[in-house]
Amino acid sequence: MTAPRSGAWRTLAELSIPSEPVNERRATEEVARAVSGLGLPQRTLERLKTAVAEATMNAMEHGNHYRAEVPVVIDVSASDEELSIKITDEGSGPPVFHSETPDLEAKLEGAQSPRGWGLFLIKNMVDEMRVSGNPGHHTIELVINLKREDDAG
Amino acid sequence: MPANHLEASVRLKPGGVVLDLRGEINRFAQEALNAAYAEAEAKDPEAILLNFEGVDYIDSTGIFLITRLLAKARASKRRLLAYGLSDHYVEIFNITRLSDFVSLFPDEGSALSEASVS
Repeated sequence: MTAPRSGAWRTLAELSIPSEPVNERRATEEVARAVSGLGLPQRTLERLKTAVAEATMNAMEHGNHYRAEVPVVIDVSASDEELSIKITDEGSGPPVFHSETPDLEAKLEGAQSPRGWGLFLIKNMVDEMRVSGNPGHHTIELVINLKREDDAG
Repeated sequence: MPANHLEASVRLKPGGVVLDLRGEINRFAQEALNAAYAEAEAKDPEAILLNFEGVDYIDSTGIFLITRLLAKARASKRRLLAYGLSDHYVEIFNITRLSDFVSLFPDEGSALSEASVS
């Protein structure tokens, strides 16, 4: 479930991205443009772009099965304390991710699939990841804490 | 935005073989990356150096492809070194632990120096 919100939220962008390969790059650039007024540190912005790319790619591939006519919808909003990026596809059931935590040594030894980095990257690039859904859609919400004091520059 | 497909080429240097990578390492990079790596292996070097100076994007599939290169290098007892990664991708190499197995350097000179002395 998406966590309840407090404080005043403002919408920065509502994007609709056709589910076509490489459009995750378009999503990252449009989200970057939408948050440009927040003055995010470069490191935070780069991390956010990686998380948006991975979540959008997952939504296009597993949720919308790369049907170009079925868009991934991205809502970008912010309060004084948090930046929220909600990425929604039209898949059913829980979002599809490799749930196994990647273990590089196990992958190199063939004991674990060499794939399965997407969710791991998302979780490590943002402060919080929230997942919600119903029979008609999945939403992954990426949250950046705008009040962090240890993220300068 | 248009895809910036990977281009890869190979250079023989004292100390190892350099793979010059340009573009994006994603689902479309597999063929070019594997072909260049095979060309590098054919020269039977002790070390293969991945030059990321021209790479502006690596996604999770790219991490998978690099993991497979690392597995190949280990199987043939070659060292894999890398240089030219941006700070962001150095962080990703750190959190995925790729940097535990692929030595990272800021530039070609330092990477070749390391390759030559080992």
